[in-house]
Amino acid sequence: MGIVGSFSDAHFLAKPDQSPSTSPGTMAPEERSLPATRHRFQRQGFSYERLIKFFFASNAGLTIVILILIIVFLLKEGLGFFPGYRRELETYRIAGLEFVDISRKNLTSHEQLTSLLNRAYFAEINGKSVREMRRTQEASALFNAFTDQIAPTRDLILNNPQGETDGNSGMLASLRANFEIQRAKALDSPLPTPHLTADERKHLIESLRTRPAEATDDPPLVAALAGEFAAAQQKNSEPLQAYRATIDVFEAAGSDLGSAIMEMTELVTATKEKLQSADILEKDRRTLLAAASNEKNPAEREKLLAEAQAALAEKPDIETPMQALLERRPDNIRLHAELRLASAEIFKQIPLSLSESDANRLLNAARSAWPVFLAGLDAAPEKINAWKHTDPVPLSDAIISFLTGRDWITGGEWQDFYGILPLAIGSLMIAIVALVIAIPVGIGSAIYVNQFAARREQSLVKPVIEFIQAIPSVVLGFIGILVFGTVLREISVMDSLQWVPGFPIEERLNIFTAGCLLALMSIPTIFSLAEDALNNVPSAYAEASEALGASKVQTTFRVMIPAAFSGMLAAILLGFGRVIGETMVVLLVAGNRIKIPDFTAGLGVFFQPTHTLTGIIAQELGEVPLGSVHYRALFVVGILLFVVVLGINATAHHFVNRVKK
Amino acid sequence: MKIVTTLIASAALITVAGAQTLSMKGSDTLGAKLVPQLAEAFKAAGNKGVKFEIAAEGSTTAFPALANGTAQIGMSSRKVKDDERTFCKTKGVYIKEHAICHDMLTVIVNKNSPLTSLTKAQVAKIFTGQIKDWSEIGGAPGKISIYTRNTSSGTYKDWQKLAMGGRDYPSSSLKMAGNEQIAQEVAKNKNGIGYVGLAYSKTPGTKALPIDGVEPVAANAKKYAYARLCYLYAPDKPTAEAAAFLDFVKSPAGQSIVQKVGFIPN
Amino acid sequence: MFDPEKLIRKGLPKGYFKDILVRSLLGGITYLIVLIAVLLFAKIIIDGAPAIFTSKFPFVDIEFLTAKNETLHVFDDANGTRHQLPASKYSEYVSTHQGENIYNEQTFSYSGGGIAGPIAGTALLTVGSIILALFFGVSAAIYLAEYAKQSPFIHAVRLAILNLAGIPSIVFGLFGFSVFVLAVPVITSTPSDRTLLAIPLFINDWVLSFQGWNSSLIAGCATLACMILPVIITASEESLRAVPQGFRDASLAMGGTRWQTIRKCVLPYSLPGILTSSLLAITRVAGETAPIMFTAAVAAKDDFPWQGLGNPFDILSSQVQALPYHIYTLAARIPNSEYTQRAQYGSVLVFLILVAVLSFGSMVLRAKMRSKLKW
Repeated sequence: MGIVGSFSDAHFLAKPDQSPSTSPGTMAPEERSLPATRHRFQRQGFSYERLIKFFFASNAGLTIVILILIIVFLLKEGLGFFPGYRRELETYRIAGLEFVDISRKNLTSHEQLTSLLNRAYFAEINGKSVREMRRTQEASALFNAFTDQIAPTRDLILNNPQGETDGNSGMLASLRANFEIQRAKALDSPLPTPHLTADERKHLIESLRTRPAEATDDPPLVAALAGEFAAAQQKNSEPLQAYRATIDVFEAAGSDLGSAIMEMTELVTATKEKLQSADILEKDRRTLLAAASNEKNPAEREKLLAEAQAALAEKPDIETPMQALLERRPDNIRLHAELRLASAEIFKQIPLSLSESDANRLLNAARSAWPVFLAGLDAAPEKINAWKHTDPVPLSDAIISFLTGRDWITGGEWQDFYGILPLAIGSLMIAIVALVIAIPVGIGSAIYVNQFAARREQSLVKPVIEFIQAIPSVVLGFIGILVFGTVLREISVMDSLQWVPGFPIEERLNIFTAGCLLALMSIPTIFSLAEDALNNVPSAYAEASEALGASKVQTTFRVMIPAAFSGMLAAILLGFGRVIGETMVVLLVAGNRIKIPDFTAGLGVFFQPTHTLTGIIAQELGEVPLGSVHYRALFVVGILLFVVVLGINATAHHFVNRVKK
Repeated sequence: MKIVTTLIASAALITVAGAQTLSMKGSDTLGAKLVPQLAEAFKAAGNKGVKFEIAAEGSTTAFPALANGTAQIGMSSRKVKDDERTFCKTKGVYIKEHAICHDMLTVIVNKNSPLTSLTKAQVAKIFTGQIKDWSEIGGAPGKISIYTRNTSSGTYKDWQKLAMGGRDYPSSSLKMAGNEQIAQEVAKNKNGIGYVGLAYSKTPGTKALPIDGVEPVAANAKKYAYARLCYLYAPDKPTAEAAAFLDFVKSPAGQSIVQKVGFIPN
Repeated sequence: MFDPEKLIRKGLPKGYFKDILVRSLLGGITYLIVLIAVLLFAKIIIDGAPAIFTSKFPFVDIEFLTAKNETLHVFDDANGTRHQLPASKYSEYVSTHQGENIYNEQTFSYSGGGIAGPIAGTALLTVGSIILALFFGVSAAIYLAEYAKQSPFIHAVRLAILNLAGIPSIVFGLFGFSVFVLAVPVITSTPSDRTLLAIPLFINDWVLSFQGWNSSLIAGCATLACMILPVIITASEESLRAVPQGFRDASLAMGGTRWQTIRKCVLPYSLPGILTSSLLAITRVAGETAPIMFTAAVAAKDDFPWQGLGNPFDILSSQVQALPYHIYTLAARIPNSEYTQRAQYGSVLVFLILVAVLSFGSMVLRAKMRSKLKW
């Protein structure tokens, strides 16, 4: 490598006179050493060296530019959300949708109660007919599995029109032979039927063995067992007739309110549509005016202006329908009062308890929800009378409704709500699961590898964990959706595990599934950072401790870990940041249910599906019209994520820096 | 300064996409199965040069794409809304509707469900969350899991209108990216219920239930409660490729593919 | 009486069992993770291997790697034989077997043919973004390592790098979408309506219009490049600083300028280190889905990105398929059945092999460099 040789191609710069004052450490020594007459740029204080330096500096500045661009554009798209959302909420009020929702809330709780009572009723009947139910279920499960297996070959026979040419009939025979082979295979190991007698089972299998391929009816035993179950249900429902009648009366009690709400719904949706189309026309007009002002051709401009004039929206008449709606107030209050009266009466008639435990649980839930329902009905008249469509909707309402809203409802027919809570809680719950798994595992293995493992073990474990880090998140999501979720569900239905809260799980894609996969993602992060933290502890600490006679375990837990504590905390925080910001796994595996999980389920809450802040952006951004309120809402979610993750990272770096000092 | 010049230099290289591309955006019901197969057949019928780009994210995505010119044809499983049409107009795109086929929204449940039929009232109650347990309507006890399409889907809104009387989905419903995904989840969950286009109703592991006694088969399109039209939308002056493709779809050859995929020809 | 024997502990030392317990507990946890990782790979390899490996020479299913992605048709012919054909072969079959009936036909989107389109798209995205990121990142690193002194500007740059590194990938997706897809300037004669600002250039009625690059390869590359910029800068700076100060001193002492010193005496020695760590960045770029979902990727595309273009630069403005997005589509959009397994597990296995080769390569190179480059 000839440094001297390189001067020959430094054509842009003359060989500098070596002045003795040139010291290598200072900035741009050549500037001082250059003769003043060489180049016109240099005379003006320019030099290629400066230009190059400026080029590199501007590239370094690019990072700042990018960060500023991110912030500016997130804010640019996001800040428009709140005024837009305020306008939507205003429409919600002016059109009277809010008014209808006061009554609808009560109707919904009435429906919920009806459902609870109904479920208790059927749980009681089914609980008493459980033996018959199992029998019919087992028989039909066996039969269904059988038909599934023979379906392809059977379809072939049915699809081939019989009695065609000679060649065809030979083929039909081969198809039938094929069918028999499949049938024998299917009957080789039929599903277990513990609640059927051996005779019944034999009979069922025999009937399947001799069943003609064309048959479409159920085998006799399957039909008989279904009949047996229906009879048992019938028999067991007899003592419950009074209860049934009570439920029916209760259900009927809500129908008047229901139809009143239906009528009001039609009224207010019409108003809302009018308001919206007026908004659109107004926007239209502004676009046309803008186009007109840019148009150079006068004739064209006239045309556009005329169109804009035509698009001038008449202010929609909202007062007339609103008066019609408000006139319904007394009627509405009367309906509430009637329902209140009827419900209080019915409450006395529902039984205090039922014999089956499931049924009892549901009944008790209904009984405890009853006072809440009645209180809601009691409060309704006051709310109905106090409601005014002219109440202003301040901007703060939109902000509060976004930050504390419990509903994220978009693209619906009725009204869109953008409440962040269900998404934020979903993200947090998944992160909790992930960290509960990843912290002990990540920190534990870091301690092991750093303190106890032999060199050879280290060189085995470290690359594997590093490689886990390299697995793309979409692959983990893929594993979750195709393998892990299904395995988890199969485990959850095992009888020996029924003591676990939440088992058997309802959905294979849930908080726990996503949390486990995210734990796998964050373990490498936590592991390597925690290991670094342990490495950074000066070796003198360990030496001193061991010299004092402490064992390895004592040294590790009493000296090394306390010394590396800050670094480990930083590792955990960075792992947390990674989990919160992860998208693909939660999009694929979290189950995408936008609802605050039901915390009454105890620890079982972790087996419910959810949706996340990151997932909602990924799922909906590609689908929303540019510039709409929904679009802007997603950017606000992005801002929130940005702030939260940067906050977490900043805290983590604070801990790291503390160690350095 | 250097950055700006670099950006502009690279930006100058960017021109509008190539001419022979036919970009289609919109409904998953149409775009996941039917349109790709129509496109394949269209190319096989002597239009080798045309290059298709199909993005099926939901009907709502069709109209902004048409308006911005990023798609030449929009696929929609519902009629265009007034505000969407106006929006396109403000961008100088006057869209034209092409009804290409009928579709039926079938209600599917897990194959092992003992249910054999449902009524319209039951469907409405299940999907609005009034009925929560299968035992309430004569099924095996178990909490009902509702699988719906995502919010940008035309099917999502159609179903709200056709089957739920305009009410909101319960928050317990799970939103899925496409018909296939709904069918897949229902096939795996014995307490699942969902709605899919007719073309997806034969997914293994699921069964489509008759509604009010009407079987969800093509022959019953007139009687069935949840039938609807599916559309392609194009500007009133479509590109040559788009016009040729639209003609092909409406031709007997195209309609036979429509039937084969599981939709009902016009 | 003094008895030295008493000072020597007999038997097992105190806390021996506790020691063993702690050790084995921690070891157990560690090996559990290793086991889970191994199981995971085993599952993918076992299910994916049939898709891409064959029993005959050359032992790799070339078709899966080189064919375009198509719909898969599964049907029985009249003899009850089951056929699985991708769409192009299916239409051939139908035209050569006119008049024969087929039964039980099912179609599976994205499951037929191969995954050449996604592989090509990922390659283009990766190469494009790495070129961009290396150019800007290495320049920035040179400034930080060679020129910079303590100043508020440097402090701000370091803070920006730190913060950029922590931003979630989906936020980069939002950023890329709102900036590169919708806002960056282009020179065009027909500005779009949604342009933010149009500045006439007074040449051929061209306009500098801030309307974005649409969803395209270049927008995806730019987004990904922004995302890995901090990684590249940090790694490059480290490599540059690893070059001994003596090299610089010698060059400067000989009268070399700062730039000559960097070009001849610093960059050549740090280049291997920079390239090695950028391999790791490639792994990350190739695996990301969220940033390209809205900026570059499409689920289905007939041709390779470079086919059917008027001029070669049009490739930059075409949308591409990408392997991670393809896997997302395969996982989320299509059912899991025996016919789709080949496409699903095959794609994942190919992807994992790619990632494994890249990350293993970077590990080996790093180890090699450490042993070789010792000053």
